[in-house]
Amino acid sequence: MAGKCSEFIGGLNDYIDGALEPELCEEIERHLGECENCRIMVDTLKQTVKLCREGREEKLPAELEGKLNSLLKKRWDEKFRKKE
Amino acid sequence: MDEKELIQLAQAGDFEAFNKLIDANKAKIYALAHKLAGSREDAEDIVQETFLKAIDNIDRFRGESAFGTWLYTIALNQARAQFAKSKQFDLKPIEEYLPAAHEHNHGQGHDHFKLFDWDDPHRILETAQLREIIDAEIAKLPYKYREAFVLRYIEELPVKEVARITKESEASAKSRILRARLALRDALSHIFEERYGRQVQ
Repeated sequence: MAGKCSEFIGGLNDYIDGALEPELCEEIERHLGECENCRIMVDTLKQTVKLCREGREEKLPAELEGKLNSLLKKRWDEKFRKKE
Repeated sequence: MDEKELIQLAQAGDFEAFNKLIDANKAKIYALAHKLAGSREDAEDIVQETFLKAIDNIDRFRGESAFGTWLYTIALNQARAQFAKSKQFDLKPIEEYLPAAHEHNHGQGHDHFKLFDWDDPHRILETAQLREIIDAEIAKLPYKYREAFVLRYIEELPVKEVARITKESEASAKSRILRARLALRDALSHIFEERYGRQVQ
């Protein structure tokens, strides 16, 4: 059995993301049935992505909005004044 | 007024038209920058530079892509340029992420072990503190891995698109994405260990 886990680790993302060929999926699932550590690995890899996605609130900070407006106006005026 | 008309006006010097074009994209660009930078300060620099570059190059925009896609590309290039200057370490090879005792544990005790119920991720993400921990761990990844991970799993782009954006082969993009995911799993293992009540590394 030694070496089995290392054979599967390279395909785990494809397996978890549903991008692996069915025969390889079956092989991984057979292995998962007998290897607790790999089941934990698969579960925690799934949760890693879930945790990284959850709870994101990405609004532009109000101070940046104000700063940005004056900065961009200045650059805009420099650019188009040159053209006149 | 449609995007094409706004672009023509902006290219003729109409600042209001330019503002309308960027207003629709500001939050998206900031969100991308924040994910890639990991800190608000660096994200703000990327956003500013992105829009300044958009002004500098507005005459060259030919409408071959949507305006938002053009801005997105500028932001990605800007983030890469900003982090390319910092010293980068490399991640471990994929096989080294296997737990040390991994090869000796087959078939032992799995009947008695119950996987943690992860169905409600909000339960463990109820504090802003945890969000900060996770963002800090993403920010610690070497940039090429961070970029691949963020594009694939937070921006939810297909591997093919990640490969195109990062100018890598699909195989290389896949490897970066997996190594980043394994490294983050390791970094977050203390959170998982609390739930499993056992070591997961």
